[in-house]
Amino acid sequence: MLPAAAVRLEAAGCITGLGDTAATHAALLRGERALALSPVLGAEGGELVPLALGGGRNLDETAPPNWLPLVQRLAAAIPADEWGSPTRPVFVTSSNFGVGSLYAFRRGGDPGHLAYGTPSLCVEWLARQLGWGSTVTTLSHACVSAHLGLTLAARALHAGLAERALVFSFDFISPFVTGGFHALKILNAGFPAPYADRPTGSIGLGDGAGFAVLSRDRGEFTISAQSLYNEMHHFTANRADGAGFAACLGPVQAAASGRRLWLKGHGTGTLEAGRLESAALAAAFPEAPLVSWKGSLGHSLGSCGVVELALAVESIRTGRAPGTVGGVAPCFTPQVALESFSTAGHDGVVCTSNAFGGAHAAFLLTHA
Amino acid sequence: MLERYLHALSLADPGEEDPAVTRERLRDRFPKGATRRMTQLGLLIGAALDDLVPRYDDAVVYATQYGETRALEGYLDSFPAASPTLFQTSIHPSAVQQAMITRQQPVGEFFPMTGRGHLVAQAVQTSLLSPAPRVLLCGGEERGTWLLTRGVASDRTFAFAVALTAEPGGALGRVALRPEDGTGGATEFSLPDFFEALKARQALDRPVGPGARLILDWT
Repeated sequence: MLPAAAVRLEAAGCITGLGDTAATHAALLRGERALALSPVLGAEGGELVPLALGGGRNLDETAPPNWLPLVQRLAAAIPADEWGSPTRPVFVTSSNFGVGSLYAFRRGGDPGHLAYGTPSLCVEWLARQLGWGSTVTTLSHACVSAHLGLTLAARALHAGLAERALVFSFDFISPFVTGGFHALKILNAGFPAPYADRPTGSIGLGDGAGFAVLSRDRGEFTISAQSLYNEMHHFTANRADGAGFAACLGPVQAAASGRRLWLKGHGTGTLEAGRLESAALAAAFPEAPLVSWKGSLGHSLGSCGVVELALAVESIRTGRAPGTVGGVAPCFTPQVALESFSTAGHDGVVCTSNAFGGAHAAFLLTHA
Repeated sequence: MLERYLHALSLADPGEEDPAVTRERLRDRFPKGATRRMTQLGLLIGAALDDLVPRYDDAVVYATQYGETRALEGYLDSFPAASPTLFQTSIHPSAVQQAMITRQQPVGEFFPMTGRGHLVAQAVQTSLLSPAPRVLLCGGEERGTWLLTRGVASDRTFAFAVALTAEPGGALGRVALRPEDGTGGATEFSLPDFFEALKARQALDRPVGPGARLILDWT
């Protein structure tokens, strides 16, 4: 796949079940886990499963959605600009948007929820709340959604259509999505242990939102070799030979040649995908330590690519990357780092995400 | 100005055809047994894409405001015993994935997009910015049932796919986006409007989004 041209990263930030970027990074370094066992359907009960909700938020939907204050807190950290004007476009990415509101309407009958239930209604409402103009593009490709926003923003910048671009990603969990993953049996009573070679796999789900401000020539960091690949092999499984992972990593591997890397993987805690992902990363980057933070934060779905980008930036800035919180030995590959480590000996990080349908995304993050 | 040439076009306008009828009508377009769990939108988008013979190095851009409405309705109705199958098929961008997975058709770039009044402008821009040699721009909706009565679903079913390349020779038409100052009047241009223009082979030269003018010429 042709990689997108490099762009500079001016600013990035996130909010998770552990707080803002700095608080989340610090808690991950301490090995803290945001996930806590909670009823899968909120007030309607059900099995206790690992969920990480932000800011004391309740899983049950309200109208307007109770995650708005979290988004507003995050948005306050975005550098001020005329976001949503033609030269300052916004690229919004999510998997769920406000679909939890449709669940709340169907279960409770309150039509007040309907105003947030479709992606377009939800994003238009959000844009009004955050004071954006109407140049807002919305992408939704499950758990690689954020990467698509970064790629498209880079292309708009290089085509001269934008002078600065904001990628804004969010996903707040609801019984709609917890019920779905529970029905698939990968959200269960077990806490996730990404890349652990154990008998049963499991994931956690967590709130997440993040932003990235991109430009052609300003900023401390560079995002390059953005790569996308779609296996279209199975809805919830990858090709058994790992070819999809390798196809996506190829352009990144070429761009990162000669660098001393570390890897921020996808690592949800499922077994087969974790095995294939860690093997592909070890083959492409045999010297690089691999971490996933979803064992603490849970999987923040369509926002994870930007949330974890912000945490990777914070790791480089502070000189220390959190390890794979929740992971346990034995792991699928010896490259999996269970403990935190210094980033001083490294000059780049490869960030990857994967999604339903065998979708893969990756990029290289380096100092400018 | 960004532009590409339109080399192939496939349209589906089944009116109020029942999803079961669509499934039976299009059954032979898909591998044996594959259509049983496909949505109406998946069937229609899948047939439209099939007409364009997707290739490994194509980019696919998919535009829909509501997506897999009937699967979403069914999934919501399945609680508290949530249906895993309907969960999967209700997730954006399931329609294209249903079709391409049944055909085991990998693709590098896949940009699923959603929105309302500016969705066409954004999907066209995404198509024109792609470095892929050929872009398959597809889209559509399926008519809802109880979500439609609440105004949060499409009131019609349709699907389209067009193939766009940089090669002018033999083209059916040209698609371009021209920047403008944004003072040209109403800018909203919906996906059904775009579908109607494709169906009628109507020439377009109009604002479709903030600072963007869509040009559609036919040869």
